[in-house]
Amino acid sequence: MNQWEVFVMDMGELAEGKDIEISIRTLNPGMHKYTYKHVRAQVSSTLDKFPDQLQVRMGRGQLSPAKFSIKVIEEIRRLPPQYS
Amino acid sequence: MSKISAPRSNREFIEACVKAGDAVRIKQEVDWENEAGAIVRRACELGAAAPFMEKIKDYPGFSYFGAPLSTYRRMAISLGMDPASSLPEIGKEYLKRTNSEPIAPVVIDRKDAPCKENILLGADVDLCKLPVPLVHDGDGGRYVGTWHAVVTKHPVRGDVNWGMYRQMMFDSRTMSGAVFPFSDLGKQLSEYYLPRGISCPFATAIGLSPLAAMAACAPSPIPEPELVGMLSGEPARLVKCETNDLEVPADAEIIIEGEICPDYKVEEGPFGEYTGYRTSPRDFRVTFRVNCITYRNNATMTISNMGVPQDEGQLLRSFSLGLELEKLLRSQGIPVTGVYMHPRSTHHMMIVGVKPAYTGIAQQIAQLAFGSKLGPWFHMVMVVDDQTDIYNWDEVYHAFCTRCHPENGIHIYRNTTGTPLYPFATPHERKYSIGSKVLFDCLWPVDWDKTNDVPTLVSFKNVYPKDIQERVLSNWTAYGYPAVK
Ligand SMILES: Cc1cc2nc3c(=O)[nH]c(=O)nc-3n(C[C@H](O)[C@H](O)[C@H](O)COP(=O)(O)O)c2cc1C
Repeated sequence: MNQWEVFVMDMGELAEGKDIEISIRTLNPGMHKYTYKHVRAQVSSTLDKFPDQLQVRMGRGQLSPAKFSIKVIEEIRRLPPQYS
Repeated sequence: MSKISAPRSNREFIEACVKAGDAVRIKQEVDWENEAGAIVRRACELGAAAPFMEKIKDYPGFSYFGAPLSTYRRMAISLGMDPASSLPEIGKEYLKRTNSEPIAPVVIDRKDAPCKENILLGADVDLCKLPVPLVHDGDGGRYVGTWHAVVTKHPVRGDVNWGMYRQMMFDSRTMSGAVFPFSDLGKQLSEYYLPRGISCPFATAIGLSPLAAMAACAPSPIPEPELVGMLSGEPARLVKCETNDLEVPADAEIIIEGEICPDYKVEEGPFGEYTGYRTSPRDFRVTFRVNCITYRNNATMTISNMGVPQDEGQLLRSFSLGLELEKLLRSQGIPVTGVYMHPRSTHHMMIVGVKPAYTGIAQQIAQLAFGSKLGPWFHMVMVVDDQTDIYNWDEVYHAFCTRCHPENGIHIYRNTTGTPLYPFATPHERKYSIGSKVLFDCLWPVDWDKTNDVPTLVSFKNVYPKDIQERVLSNWTAYGYPAVK
């Protein structure tokens, strides 16, 4: 199980029942902790629905009590090829 | 000019601070996640010695140096002055050195440059190999650049810019940063690189000599490599980058080379800021792609932890913004006695002392201050007369509360440039860097009759004859009072 975190301005950004695109950061221990990926994912407030856990922070860093499970469908590479 | 003996590198600076009792060596292991940041924050809030953290969890061989210039004592040490120097003395020295002849930097051979001791290129490049700290809990990321210089060059004019613009680690090879549109780098990007869709080479230098860091955050028109020379009295030692044509301080602890992408943006923030809040919204900001990392053996990463006063975001910036405004006003022939920003104002209020030589002098000062390159960083100018000690807040506050006419003395300037960091600004103003400014004119109007209209200041110094003052002072302890220092 992986642990992820997302920053949102509005909880509405975490719509359930459909694919959403978000930047999430890993909370798994280790030297890559807090690095981001931009992903297509599904989230659910039912904590055992998806394999990974998602924690939420609001726009100024406040930890939200809301918790989600998340399924990362794919990483979206937005980086133009010349920078790879 | 007498020889200046200022610390030439971050290492020499740490040594000098430890010797003076202004840095402590922390031998026990410190966590890069929050713990190091919390130590730096507490040191700032207490005005305590700078923490030199010699052992970092997960990162053997690296160390941290926090709160490098968050006290005037350390600022004096950085300039090679007596740590006990007073603020006006430090300010005078800064003005003297920065008004001297520019000293051009020298470029040294890469084999002599300490920052080239370790080089990561290609697949080896990973920012996570550096002990990038999580400075405050709840920050948008681990911040690589909190006390550093982002080096760039204008491709046509060749102007070199070193600026301290915060940089967050987004992933192993990507950073995002708060480069405001009115900053030198912001202007370089919007004027040249962005419209052409060309990537802008950059190099981030971390663990600089304190005077190189001071130059990177000074709002001075002098190119920073020369400014470092003037501040330290000798040429700055630079070395060419591995992957682009930029030159970086050879004695820096860590160099990160790469390109600023004109066509790719990732999120940045939130982050604890010099105002004492996390204000600026998380947003898609200037994005830096990393191609190479070089660093010294046993590299020390520097950390500035911004929050409530006082850290270098307030102390150093107040210092240099005030003194650069003083230079500007003097260059216009305005008879100022001095300019001071109290760090506790989080560099939001300029206090200007002036001889009230003519009507409208306070407005002239405010218009120059707000209209200058310095203007976006503060929104209050308070002008007091040459009899008021600008460094004494009690005197300034008294002048403000008694001489500033609520209708005639307060002037508001609307729709000016602001910063997204102003806590009082509306979300819309923050997004578009819209500001508004206010002048508090605390001068007696020039057209008031000096004898009959201007009230007399009733103070010990002002109303008693000299001989009475002297008698009272010399008898003070004889009256039964303890001596006054
Ligand atoms: C610790 C610290 C952090 C700073 N962070 C930023 C920043 O993120 N963005 C910015 O535009 N200015 C920042 N500043 C202020 C700039 O360093 C300052 O405006 C400097 O003069 C930049 O150069 P420029 O005005 O020539 O662009 C910071 C200053 C300090 C002391």
